[in-house]
Amino acid sequence: MPFTQFTNLDFDQIKTEIKSYLRANSNFTDFDFEGSNFSVLIDTLAYNTYINAFNANLVVNESFLDAATVRENVVSLARNIGYVPRSKSAAKAHITFSVPTTTASSFITLKAGLVCVGSFDNTSYRFSIPEDVSATVINGVAQFGSASSPIQVYQGTLLQKQFLVNSSVDQRFILDNPNIDASTIVTYVRGINDTGLGREYHRVDNILNLNKNSEIYLIQEVQDERYELLFGDGYFGKELENNSVVTVKYVVTDGEAGNGPAAFDFQGNFVDESNIRVIPSASVPVTTVQRAMNGGEIENVSSIKYFAPRLYSAQYRAVTARDYEAIIQSIYPNTESVAVVGGEELTPPQYGTVQISIKPKNGTYVSDFDKQNILSKIKQYSIAGINQKIVDLKVLYVEIDSSVYYNTSQVSNVDDLRTNIINSLTTYSRDVDINKFGGRFKYSKILQLIDRVDSAVTSNITKVKIRRDMKVLKNQFAQYELCFGNRFHINPAGYNIKSTGFTVSGSNDIVYFTDVPNKDANGNLDGSGMGVLSAIKRTEQDKLQVVVKSVGTVDYAKGEILVNTINITSTVADNDLIEVQAFPDSNDVVGLKDLYLSFNVPNSTINMVKDVIASGEDISGVTFTRDYYTSSYSNGALERK
Amino acid sequence: MGLWYRTVLWEDFWVGAINNWTKSTISMASKRISRAFKDISLSFDPHPVTKDLPVLTNERSIRRSVRNLVETIPTERFFNSTLGTNIRRSLFEFVDYSTAVIIEDQIRNTVSFYEPRVTNLKVQVDPRPDDNSFDVNVIFDIIGLDIATQQFSFILEATR
Repeated sequence: MPFTQFTNLDFDQIKTEIKSYLRANSNFTDFDFEGSNFSVLIDTLAYNTYINAFNANLVVNESFLDAATVRENVVSLARNIGYVPRSKSAAKAHITFSVPTTTASSFITLKAGLVCVGSFDNTSYRFSIPEDVSATVINGVAQFGSASSPIQVYQGTLLQKQFLVNSSVDQRFILDNPNIDASTIVTYVRGINDTGLGREYHRVDNILNLNKNSEIYLIQEVQDERYELLFGDGYFGKELENNSVVTVKYVVTDGEAGNGPAAFDFQGNFVDESNIRVIPSASVPVTTVQRAMNGGEIENVSSIKYFAPRLYSAQYRAVTARDYEAIIQSIYPNTESVAVVGGEELTPPQYGTVQISIKPKNGTYVSDFDKQNILSKIKQYSIAGINQKIVDLKVLYVEIDSSVYYNTSQVSNVDDLRTNIINSLTTYSRDVDINKFGGRFKYSKILQLIDRVDSAVTSNITKVKIRRDMKVLKNQFAQYELCFGNRFHINPAGYNIKSTGFTVSGSNDIVYFTDVPNKDANGNLDGSGMGVLSAIKRTEQDKLQVVVKSVGTVDYAKGEILVNTINITSTVADNDLIEVQAFPDSNDVVGLKDLYLSFNVPNSTINMVKDVIASGEDISGVTFTRDYYTSSYSNGALERK
Repeated sequence: MGLWYRTVLWEDFWVGAINNWTKSTISMASKRISRAFKDISLSFDPHPVTKDLPVLTNERSIRRSVRNLVETIPTERFFNSTLGTNIRRSLFEFVDYSTAVIIEDQIRNTVSFYEPRVTNLKVQVDPRPDDNSFDVNVIFDIIGLDIATQQFSFILEATR
């Protein structure tokens, strides 16, 4: 009997196969008995086969980007297609400070290295700069940075490593530390005839536009999350001379943990124009322009596997939406999700424009400084004649109002059950399927999720609301447009649109948005899918009074609210926001185009209702329908609650 | 387990065949060759004349098998962690009859579970406190082989 099955990876199956073979082909008989010598030999053989099969399987898996799991292999395979995984990124804070000094020097220089220390969550973090910064001394004070152009400090410690170039050996320039923020690497090469640190070499990502004199280097990740510097070979980039000295400075950072510090104690060192140390004549208070943020961890294996092929297919060219996704991720590592919409899809169309929305990892908005950086970097990848525009994130919040029925005999503490439900919803709300551009809120999943939290939950009636926050330009006449991207449900009686309160010029009363759908002469909906938006207040007698009759229009079919010119003077909600809500026609809500869908659990309502039928308190259902009844439809109240 | 059943059936045949079965039945059944137990010897010393590998047959192979079972430490065999006895661990206990009973039980359990070819198993363990060792006698009959009761002895002694 020949061996025919080569696919077995299981020890017992391999052993059985060897025994079957021996049974047909051998004079020996004792291999079936575990104590026999032959059994010992078979065990050894099967174990050897098993280990070989396992190793072969492992090696083959690790040879392909899709199947590899060991970081070193994934990085190596990604390197083959020109992808450098993102390094850890240091949290960056923007600060300014004035240095009182008695020096006669016309300027003083803040030395590269430690600048200040900030603390967050009872932990101190060091903040450094990778290069020297100078400021002129005017009237005994040197001002470093301004509100519009602050000093950027990186969370971490500045380290330096020097290599003596020896061209007779196969030399590698490996930085010994893990946790390096690769964007802070600064490299100098001192040739035989140079002085000081020598000439600065610049990092490039590819060998386009290089010649034999280009002073450049590339980096690649090697073992244990360390980085290696690759210099030119005399054809692509300048070759290093023998005995020249390479000096590399870089920041080793705590990554994401460094986010947060907002107050800093100054710890830096100054020198004057003669390189003599300058001691400030008084303490140096630090003013924070922007707290430490945008620190991130090194790119993980799954992200490398996802983005390496995409960046390769983008070929450093931003053409399709997917190209933008991959390229923006690589030039702005803090990106969580990107939405790219071609101008021709906008209303009205803006040909030749690409509209980009970016959701950063921590926070909602990309700062203007970062926007400028991204736009300038993306220019080198994009097609000539195409303008990119980064627009602020438009968040479409989904909230639920859920009445959860529970069996009282199966639960000891209702608050615990409610907490469990909220925890489950919170976990689900972090799901990447929802929190992204083009995400979809799946209603049936939510119902199922609530029902399955505990066996005590017998059912739930859940209503869905969608919300946008309208940022108000206070005391200015302005028009507003709010796109929800989802068709609104029309209740002919109105109250489909609700808002938080605000005041308009000429009145101190708090008013709310509300709507009236367009109707025909008979009082039925006219089918236009349009309605009128009004501003209404509640009088002291608790009656409703229209303040502005036609303040805008509502397009129920498109899910769009237009507010005509209005001067809003204050808002009830914080941060000059008016929360505007609507009821979606479909309970499955979609994040259309540049809308970023976010399931907002904190603003959702979970009501716990006793299921008196299930617990046996009410057999006929009379009490249930009288006291524990919940409507499946939304209420007709004026305000958003 | 399948083979264990096969051995028992074969034993039934052996007992019954002599009295009742017809010649044709015997000739059919005698095609089975399982009566000759044949195992390889791990000494691997070639036969001086034929240069063949040494072979252990019948009672010698079974005796070797029982010995292997007793001397194997549990977890020593790949993917069969229960095979073997823990008697080595008992060697650091007091050399008395209570330890001897433990060793006896372990040997009896292992052999009766993993060696279906033996029956009438007797294990005698005698403590020798003066030498800090145990005398072990394993006595058994082989199912289906017309040979005398088998016995082998060894001394268990802590070597460190």
